[in-house]
Amino acid sequence: MKPLKVLGILLLGWLLVAVGLSSPSFAGQAERVITIAQYADAVSLDPQDTNDNASYSIEKPVLEGLIGFNEKMEQVPQLAERWDASPDARVYTFYLRKGVKFHDGTPFNAAAVKASFDRIRNPDNKLRRYTLYKIISQIDVIDDSTVRFTLSEPFGAMIATFAHPAGGINSPTAVEKYGKEYGKNPVGTGPYKFEEWVPNDHLTLVKNPDYWDKNTAAQVDKIIVKPVPEDGTRIAMLQKGDAQFINAVPYSMAEVVKGDRNLSLAESESIYTFWVAMNVQKKPFNDLRVRQALNYAINKEAIIKAVLRGHGKPADSPLAPQVWGYTPVKAYPYDPAKAKALLAEAGYPNGFKTILRGGVTTDAKEVMVAIQGQLKQVGVDAEIISLPAATLSAERFKPLAENKGEMDYAGWSPSTGDADWGIRPLLTKENWPPSNYTIGFYTHPRLEEVVKAALQTSDGAKRKAAYAEAQRIIMDDCPWIFLWVNYLLGGTRANVGGISIQPDGIGFYRSVSYK
Amino acid sequence: MLGYILRRLLYMTPILFGVSVVIFLILHLVPGDPARLVAGPDATLEDVEVIRSSLGLDRPLPAQYFSWLGNVFRGDLGRAARTHRPVTHELALTIPATIELTLSAIAIAVLLGVGAGTIAAVRRNSAFDYTSMVVALLGVCTPSFWLGLMLMLLFAVKLDLLPTTGRGGLENLVLPAVTLGAGAAAIIARVTRSSMLEVLGTDYIRTAHAKGLSARVVVLRHAVKNALIPVITVIGLEFGYLLAGAVVTETVFAYPGVGRLLVEAIDFRDYPVIQGALLVLALQFALVNLVVDVLYAFFDPRISYE
Repeated sequence: MKPLKVLGILLLGWLLVAVGLSSPSFAGQAERVITIAQYADAVSLDPQDTNDNASYSIEKPVLEGLIGFNEKMEQVPQLAERWDASPDARVYTFYLRKGVKFHDGTPFNAAAVKASFDRIRNPDNKLRRYTLYKIISQIDVIDDSTVRFTLSEPFGAMIATFAHPAGGINSPTAVEKYGKEYGKNPVGTGPYKFEEWVPNDHLTLVKNPDYWDKNTAAQVDKIIVKPVPEDGTRIAMLQKGDAQFINAVPYSMAEVVKGDRNLSLAESESIYTFWVAMNVQKKPFNDLRVRQALNYAINKEAIIKAVLRGHGKPADSPLAPQVWGYTPVKAYPYDPAKAKALLAEAGYPNGFKTILRGGVTTDAKEVMVAIQGQLKQVGVDAEIISLPAATLSAERFKPLAENKGEMDYAGWSPSTGDADWGIRPLLTKENWPPSNYTIGFYTHPRLEEVVKAALQTSDGAKRKAAYAEAQRIIMDDCPWIFLWVNYLLGGTRANVGGISIQPDGIGFYRSVSYK
Repeated sequence: MLGYILRRLLYMTPILFGVSVVIFLILHLVPGDPARLVAGPDATLEDVEVIRSSLGLDRPLPAQYFSWLGNVFRGDLGRAARTHRPVTHELALTIPATIELTLSAIAIAVLLGVGAGTIAAVRRNSAFDYTSMVVALLGVCTPSFWLGLMLMLLFAVKLDLLPTTGRGGLENLVLPAVTLGAGAAAIIARVTRSSMLEVLGTDYIRTAHAKGLSARVVVLRHAVKNALIPVITVIGLEFGYLLAGAVVTETVFAYPGVGRLLVEAIDFRDYPVIQGALLVLALQFALVNLVVDVLYAFFDPRISYE
């Protein structure tokens, strides 16, 4: 069969050439390149139009804000040297760093800052992060290095909002030049410049030789980011050396990475808290004793060990410890006897039937099965409803009358690193679906007051005191079954350092280096 | 023949139109709010509504469909809801990648499948026959997810012969093409074998043997050509199916193909990408079927399309 023979020979030849081509090339050994494999590709590179961590991770080395976060989620001055806030939390003045330039040569100054924030707070631009900054009613250029923001109402958490990745400052020249395509051509002040982006394949950043801070300048010449959605493949890439860092490592593979002497695990405590929201507007969850009972019924340490492989710790507050404003309150110990007693007291000696909703990831399913098992021990029969993200979101955002939710397993992190965003969207009446994520339809009069009061002042001590009270109210009234704070895992080659995943889940890539 | 081809091309138009309507309706009936998904879980209702209007999703359904259709006639498939990239651009990047992968996979599948199936039929009930059919069964049953990862671990990581992921040169195509081709090879082998067995039992083959022709000539010159007709159907179907993107293989190997694009778009209810991609894929599938039907006429002189 002639054609088949020819085909066979061609294929054999192709195979040999392919293997030959794959031997390490000697080109580019003078250039230091780091390849990062991420779980997803960027969606946009415009920080004002981004709401996913994969995109933010790539934006951070390129675009900087007035204030930034270090690897521990602490606020650090970035493009602003210092700032002050009026006591009534309405006026914020920033004193900018001098002598900084954008990657395209445009000088960084107060006018550029004003242009950047005017862009995001203009509703006609329809940027995803519009509401984060719409509270700014006026921006004044005092002089080249001083800019003043006036808010339409007091907002004590505004400083944290400036540190949010959406506060990245864009070069006004580039925004003008690229218009709607700016999301594919970001220009900022960071240690790395954007070079090219082949969607779904790879994205390249190159060193910015004119970066304003020699101490934190780029330590490699090029960073290549590849989107690799499959966990196993990322691990294979790290083992082979096709990637020097992977974001992220699934818990089940942590030991594989740890056990390999060419690799190391970069572990950081996140600012995510995981919980099960109970629909307090429905029976039996409207009864405090039932909610307390369910908190005693869950053995959090066991689930952390089994599902998270030990990479987590039980929650003692609705907020994670590295969130600004966190106060440890109490963790509910595992006490099934007490749980049964409380249920009996509330009128449910034989438990009750309910549904537990959550996502379809392996971790989520394993957690829900564990919770289901533990609830059964106290007589509560929970049916698991596992939905893919789009459907889950559609169901959770239904208003109270149509919402079938009873118990919802979820997690949340305040992307501003501030207590306000870790409480208000989750536990107040104005954030009931379809508005935002108070998916248990919870409200508490004193909590509402306290959360509001904490925004009326910029005095850190006063705000902290208010949030301390808020956390006590929440832990006592238990609208949720409080679960844990998880640790985020990144994998590195042993000869690479300075790279990890920030507590908010965004990759901290800018200080990556070869050891 | 030319008339036949033109008629088939003409019939494609109402079919594609019907496909686009069905997809549009299904998308709007399935739960999931694209505006909320684009805006993100911590967006306020106001954010969501702003995005809903920027995506044009607040218009009545017929307006949305006909405005999309009008743009299609102008060659504009709209912009992706999440990335705002033009859909034609997304497809121009991913479809060639998938075609490259599919052609490689089909080449491997045809070589292995037709070769093994023919030999198995000729040496019926031999050790080769039994082993190859069992291997074929394994090939059909093995999840491509597992096969892909195993091949990657062995050849890319342990033996360091090939790269792990991505699209690039020939070296990047080997592992994904083998993973993808394995299942198709198995099916092609089985169909080739049964078709060959049927042909080998016919009168004219017995006549050829009686004439004194060597077994090799009988099989290669007379039998295979006739046995291949049903096999071509299968190859065509596999090709069309694989062109829609083998999403599992593309995910495992981080290969930037249209299967991955489409599945991600579906996860996020990215209507323009889903509608545009499915329209193009339906067109591809219809064209492949047309090519297969035309090929029949070359392989079997009894077939005529007048």
